[in-house]
Amino acid sequence: MSAPSDHAAAAGQAAAPSSASAASSSSGLTFKLHPLVIVNVSDHYTRVKAQAACSGDGSSSSGAAPGQPPRVFGCVIGVQRGRTVEIFNSFELVLDPISGTLDRAFLEKKQELYKKVFPDFYVLGWYSTGSDVQETDMQIHKALMDVNESPVYLLLNPAINLSQKDLPVTIYESELHVIDGSPQLIFVRSNYTIETVEAERISVDHVAHLKPSDGGSAATQLAAHLTGIHSAIKMLNSRVRVIHQYLVAMQKGDIPLDNSLLRQVSSLVRRLPAMESQKFQDDFLMEYNDTLLMTYLAMFTNCSSTMNELVEKINTSYERPATRRGGRGAFM
Amino acid sequence: MESLEALVAHIQGLSGSPEERAHLHGLLKQADGDSLRAHAAALVPFLAHLSPAAHSLGYLYLLEACVTSGANLSEFGGGDFLVTVADFLTSCSTDQIRLAPDKFLNVCRVLKDQVMQLNTPIRGIAPLRVAVRKIQASPEQLTPVHADYLLLCLLAKQYKAGLSVLEDDIFEVDQPKDLFLYCYYGGMIYIGLKKFAKALELLHNAVTAPMSSLNAIAVEAYKKYILVSLIQNGQVPSFPKYTSATAQRNLKNHAQIYVELSTCYGNGRYTELETFIESNAASFQSDNNLGLVKQVLSSMYKRNIQRLTQTYLTLSLEDIARSVQLDTPRDAEMHVLRMIEDGEIHATINQKDGMVSFHEDPEQYKSVEMVDHIDSSIQRLTALSKKLASIDENMACDPAYLLKTGRDRGGRFDYDDFDNAPHKYF
Repeated sequence: MSAPSDHAAAAGQAAAPSSASAASSSSGLTFKLHPLVIVNVSDHYTRVKAQAACSGDGSSSSGAAPGQPPRVFGCVIGVQRGRTVEIFNSFELVLDPISGTLDRAFLEKKQELYKKVFPDFYVLGWYSTGSDVQETDMQIHKALMDVNESPVYLLLNPAINLSQKDLPVTIYESELHVIDGSPQLIFVRSNYTIETVEAERISVDHVAHLKPSDGGSAATQLAAHLTGIHSAIKMLNSRVRVIHQYLVAMQKGDIPLDNSLLRQVSSLVRRLPAMESQKFQDDFLMEYNDTLLMTYLAMFTNCSSTMNELVEKINTSYERPATRRGGRGAFM
Repeated sequence: MESLEALVAHIQGLSGSPEERAHLHGLLKQADGDSLRAHAAALVPFLAHLSPAAHSLGYLYLLEACVTSGANLSEFGGGDFLVTVADFLTSCSTDQIRLAPDKFLNVCRVLKDQVMQLNTPIRGIAPLRVAVRKIQASPEQLTPVHADYLLLCLLAKQYKAGLSVLEDDIFEVDQPKDLFLYCYYGGMIYIGLKKFAKALELLHNAVTAPMSSLNAIAVEAYKKYILVSLIQNGQVPSFPKYTSATAQRNLKNHAQIYVELSTCYGNGRYTELETFIESNAASFQSDNNLGLVKQVLSSMYKRNIQRLTQTYLTLSLEDIARSVQLDTPRDAEMHVLRMIEDGEIHATINQKDGMVSFHEDPEQYKSVEMVDHIDSSIQRLTALSKKLASIDENMACDPAYLLKTGRDRGGRFDYDDFDNAPHKYF
């Protein structure tokens, strides 16, 4: 009776991941992830999402709930040397939405092709997107177990969370744990590090806009420089706010007084202003005003050019011009 | 057609919530028309039963029927009637009257006509000022009441009252005539207050507004525009790109003497200008511009002195008097002193040896106030730039524009143009 036991496993699975996803792996394997994999997965997801958005307008999408971002699936390949698992590359797979299984024939074909080019690599596991592990994932995981006895599951969270500092990528392993008296496979989190080859570093830099590929005109370099400063200032601002809130709470009495911390804060505050004199003020304000005037001039030019385009458009659409450049003759 | 009492009862009963008012609006529309106007005389006592604040909509309908009935308003006790209308305008509720804006505009127009007929424009100022704010959907919208209000301010010589309405920037305009009148009257108010820069802005708008055929308001505005730009800048700028073709071709022909005045001014000789003005005084007078022309004359001195600042660093008072064609050095000193006080030039007068030394702009841009000033200008400019960008986008989607540019390209379809099309077609 495979169906009820699957259900039971799935039901157990439903309860387990929420508690087990906090557990960390005890297998002792170190994972190394290459950025190429992350870029591949995110590219796959973006493409599918864009296509679904385009084609989902007219036809009713099959299977996927409207408003839900589509899940994408694929394989990760790499090398396992001893206790180190290094994930180099990935490719996409098609998931049969009805039966919930991966297309085996396609997987094998792809594996063969990759083996020809990279003889060392073999299938280490699979990837998918989403915010958390889901019940059906274990089925796919088990299905892959005949290719690799202990596959890894790489999960990418495509939701953009600006406050999050880490990469939204988690690597799960499967372990046999005893839950409610019966041994079950559950997902456990593993740590990983990012490993880059020189070629990957260049492309990641390019994507992150740190070094524009064409060497950068002055405008892009200025923009990059200013963006860096802007984010630094933003971070400074938020940290100062945290300290401020902390001090206010201390003043109100919500938090017990901590004198050593207060001493540190006071020494920090006393570091500014670094210089206090009339000449400094004058020069500082003059330079400040100069920069502001430059910005003003830039805004002005921007506005004037928009205005110019607007006037051109209005003239072409509504005016019967007295002279026609290009000599096409008067419109009726 | 219900009887008047029933209508009044409805009004009193149904002015509570927005749904009731919508129902009431429907009823009033049914009852509206000539039949209501025919009973105009009977309506007045009913008005006393209704309160303008709570029953604004019904009050408005009845009032409008009264005023447009064609009957002589003095039959209603003209002065008292004016008070009734003024009270209504001041105390009516904004949401209710917005349900029937054209009736409201009619009432305002009649108030203005009545007030002008009675030759007491000042009585109309306060109610109309409130009316302007009430009928505006947003502070950037222009309504016909604006023009009427400004006219009354001008006639009553209450220029400061007009300022509150003129301060808002206008972005939405319904009727072109409103815009022209608003700009023209607004320009005149600013001239009356001697704020020539702002007057120049408004008159410039009137002259460069899109017009398919020439209108008299634009011609008058152009005449004043020439005079004010002579006073303010010393020269008349040529038409910018966005002036309509009709304006560019025809305005100069109708304002011939003014154009000659500006060329004469450009020569810089005071006596020539004076003789020219005297010979044409009659035509200037008929345009009611003689006062302004005299101001142009006196600004000639200022212009010449300013020209001197560009050539000399120091100059004696006699030399100034001679080159500007003033009579005595004392006159020159007075003029220079006045200009220093107005901030038009930067100079110091040394009274001992009668020398004037001209300086550079002493602004060092070292102060915090300057920071605030520039910062606020940048904010204003950013907001304006956003607005411009959105208007530009709207224009790019405008069918008239697309038609003209599409026709230019001869109807060829380049694949490059369709690069951004969704790929579902591929």
